[in-house]
Amino acid sequence: MNAQPQAETYESFVEQIPAGTAKIDLRKLNFFYGKTQALFGVTTGFAEKQITALIGPSGCGKSTLLRTLNRIYALYPGQRAEGEILFDGRNILNGGEDMAALRARIGMVFQKPTPFPMSIYDNVAYGVRLYERLGKADMDGRVEQSLRRAALWDEVKDKLHTSGLGLSGGQQQRLCVARGVAVRPEVLLLDEPASALDPISTAKLEETLLELKTDHTIVIVTHNLGQAARISDYTGFMYLGRMIEFTSTEQLFTNPKAKRTQDYVTGRFG
Amino acid sequence: MASQLLIVRRKMGNAVFVVFCWVGAAIALGFLALILWSLIVKGLGGIDLKVFTMDTPAPGSPGGLRNAIMGSLEMCAIAMLLAVTFGVLAGTWLAEYAGDSLYGKVVRFVNDVLLSAPSILIGLFVYTLMVKPFHGFSGLAGAVALALLAAPVVTRTTEDVMKLQPPALREAGVALGSPLASTIRRILWRAASTGILTGGLLAFARISGETAPLLFTALNNQFFSWNLTQPTANLPTVIFNYALSAYDDWQRLAWAGAALIAFAVLFVNIIARTLARESRRS
Repeated sequence: MNAQPQAETYESFVEQIPAGTAKIDLRKLNFFYGKTQALFGVTTGFAEKQITALIGPSGCGKSTLLRTLNRIYALYPGQRAEGEILFDGRNILNGGEDMAALRARIGMVFQKPTPFPMSIYDNVAYGVRLYERLGKADMDGRVEQSLRRAALWDEVKDKLHTSGLGLSGGQQQRLCVARGVAVRPEVLLLDEPASALDPISTAKLEETLLELKTDHTIVIVTHNLGQAARISDYTGFMYLGRMIEFTSTEQLFTNPKAKRTQDYVTGRFG
Repeated sequence: MASQLLIVRRKMGNAVFVVFCWVGAAIALGFLALILWSLIVKGLGGIDLKVFTMDTPAPGSPGGLRNAIMGSLEMCAIAMLLAVTFGVLAGTWLAEYAGDSLYGKVVRFVNDVLLSAPSILIGLFVYTLMVKPFHGFSGLAGAVALALLAAPVVTRTTEDVMKLQPPALREAGVALGSPLASTIRRILWRAASTGILTGGLLAFARISGETAPLLFTALNNQFFSWNLTQPTANLPTVIFNYALSAYDDWQRLAWAGAALIAFAVLFVNIIARTLARESRRS
């Protein structure tokens, strides 16, 4: 990732999102895995209550970018970020932020489903119990609401107290979405959430995301260009750790400015 | 034609190798079968109700192994309590927090050394620590010696199964706003529980037949006692003493005790293997 072809320049066309709409603002974000630099001066914004898709070939840094937004990378010594990540105007890269409280406001769904080894009900309630004291009736309501939002309720309502590990892959992934939205985060990060899912589960997940948009700011990393085109409002194309092009999804797919973006979205490389 | 010769030679070499493997396996299994057979023949016959209801007798009088069985169970229970508490915590630290730090490497190395330390050394160590200063052998000292033998096993298995958990599970917990420590306690330990339990059972099987560390610590006791600050009867030492004796009834009891331990260990191993298979399936 740190191999920089000598002659190549990275022309970039990063469009500013309308002023005042950004939930998260990145300014000159660099990221390092030890000595290897994986992100180079990424400056962009993620609009509130919109879906932003990040696309690009494998190893381009899109997952890395996502993992800086809730600072999950901080679990691993040697990984560090430089620059600014403004979340509601506050730089979360500054020390002194309570990471756990921050992550409760920025949810994350991973590539592979990661149900906890406990019942479906407890999977959803786990995060809620960390930050809220709810009575039984309120908690039941919250669990039902979250499962409904993730389009899973009808399939599991009769077996809430059986293990979450017994669900199919698609159901497990929607359980993870339900778990994520149950804590009512302001932002939801999704790292290729549909890559392990069949087409029907993928379609259901996409519907879910479109509904969640009314309350949540969503950033999704995807390899599936069709998916990015179908559900996102903004799309960023990344290459070798740089944001090459960032604009409205329609613009990026119909009239890309950068040659690389054009090649990628028309399937000529990547 | 030379190549034909090579093929024949290779086939013969192959056949000889397979025969050696068969013979080796047969010898190993044969001795195990022999041991089990003699335990069944000489031991099972000696197991009756008296073994569980009466204490170790003087030569010539009726008796059983009640005090030794209870002493062994008590010491093993305390030892496992200590070993699981410290072993699980140490293994978790090694897997989750130590990383590649020098301290972590040293702890891991020392633990591996302890894993293969001769049990008689552990016994002597506890003797100088807990027996000599207090001028008396005690069941507690025996339990501590057994715990020192079991803890490295638990530490090692805990580290191994914790490392087998997918990183995404840890990240998923942390991403929900759960601090790493509670993610470990409430998610990772649960996910790894079958593996940790299997390690505990194997450690229990390992210590339940240990004699050497008990000779220097718990010693023995002819009488039944709940008092673990006193010398405490235990099956391995009773077997050791009675098997070497010249009395037929003592030797019968030794065989019965040996059969009890062997089948208990066999039973625990089967449970551990079943659990391990279950956890691999899920």
